[in-house]
Amino acid sequence: MDALRMVGGSGPVVPGRAALEVSPLSGRCGIRASGEICEVTRPSWERALTELSRCHEGVSYVELSQVAFVDVAGVTALAVTAMNLPDGRVVVEHPPPQLPRVLRLFWPDLDRIEVAPR
Amino acid sequence: MTTQVTTDETFVHPALFYRTEQEYTRQTVSFLREGLTNGEPLAVAVPGPNLELIKDGLGADADGITFLDMTEAGRNPGRIIPRVLRGFADAHPEGRVRIIGEPIWAGRSAVEYPACAQHEALINAAFEGRAVTILCPYDETRLDPEVIADARITHPTLISGDGREETSDVYDWQAVVARYNEPLVAAPDAAVFSYGREDLPAVRQFAVAQAGLLGLAGERVMDVELAVAELTTNSVIHGGGRGTLAVWAERDQLVFEVRDAGRLTDPLAGRRPPERGQLGGRGLMLVHYVSDLVRLHTGDEGTTVRFYLGR
Repeated sequence: MDALRMVGGSGPVVPGRAALEVSPLSGRCGIRASGEICEVTRPSWERALTELSRCHEGVSYVELSQVAFVDVAGVTALAVTAMNLPDGRVVVEHPPPQLPRVLRLFWPDLDRIEVAPR
Repeated sequence: MTTQVTTDETFVHPALFYRTEQEYTRQTVSFLREGLTNGEPLAVAVPGPNLELIKDGLGADADGITFLDMTEAGRNPGRIIPRVLRGFADAHPEGRVRIIGEPIWAGRSAVEYPACAQHEALINAAFEGRAVTILCPYDETRLDPEVIADARITHPTLISGDGREETSDVYDWQAVVARYNEPLVAAPDAAVFSYGREDLPAVRQFAVAQAGLLGLAGERVMDVELAVAELTTNSVIHGGGRGTLAVWAERDQLVFEVRDAGRLTDPLAGRRPPERGQLGGRGLMLVHYVSDLVRLHTGDEGTTVRFYLGR
């Protein structure tokens, strides 16, 4: 996961402008994100998920307590990543409320993702 | 009533014009019993009081049939194809499925009706070549003559209350889609926000703030944020790179309208469920799922999508 430290968006964080920072979790397999997951920051979110799937073994963690918003494409990228894992599951910790809402609408029976609510 | 002889891959889409509860019950129950005889999966999505008529008429035969109140499941006609009809048909991929769908009832508003008529028309495109039978009842005594006339254009087969069946001589679903592709004009007192790619978070926050000012609360505010994000992102990616959001209140509903320079060429956009692991194709569908009504106009001059949410 050393390669996994990235900043998305356009330039420095500016109020009203989208930015996303992703870093590896210490002591367990997974990532922590802060900012928002939308069209502007999608490339860095998808790169982080690709990296996550590479190092996945059994259970991976995605910590989102500092993410203010995630759009449908952002949830889709996470769901598809989880579906394509060879085994195990992804635990999503403290996501913004849009994430469980979109999961319920499009993948109500996706047992590869476990959500620990805020 | 015996529906027409079908091949395995024929889509069958008759309209039933009924005048009394007795006609309604007799024809719908006959339609469902025929499906039971054929061993077909059966679903009924009609307004609540009519659900009871059908259940009472079927008696014990109602067991095993899926029943949905269409005034809830199909409140927004734009979600009936993906959520109700495809939802049921796709869950039963083996053999023919048989559905009763009544999306237009007395009480549908003039604002809703164009979307209802387009929905009925688009069913023909959505199920072309699929082994599905969808019977659509119409209350001849309570619906406007214009609605009945449109049903004759959107359904290739017409069935009268006494069970007589005929082929429609005016069937032309594309004409109805085009006719109700009506220009939309924002309210003069709307709050307006113009956006480009860098403004996507700001336009979303603007929508949330306006929703709060106009009296929306709870999960519906989150739905506004999600839906506005999808529509404004579409503008940025497909609609010329920028657009305008207008927000206003209309009686007991809030209206969010996104206008951009794009043109929607797929009439089934937002109504065709993507494969489970497909990356795209859920944005406009999300808007249909969370809102009470979606109206859309598209043409050479651009596309306008507005969604309505009850306060």
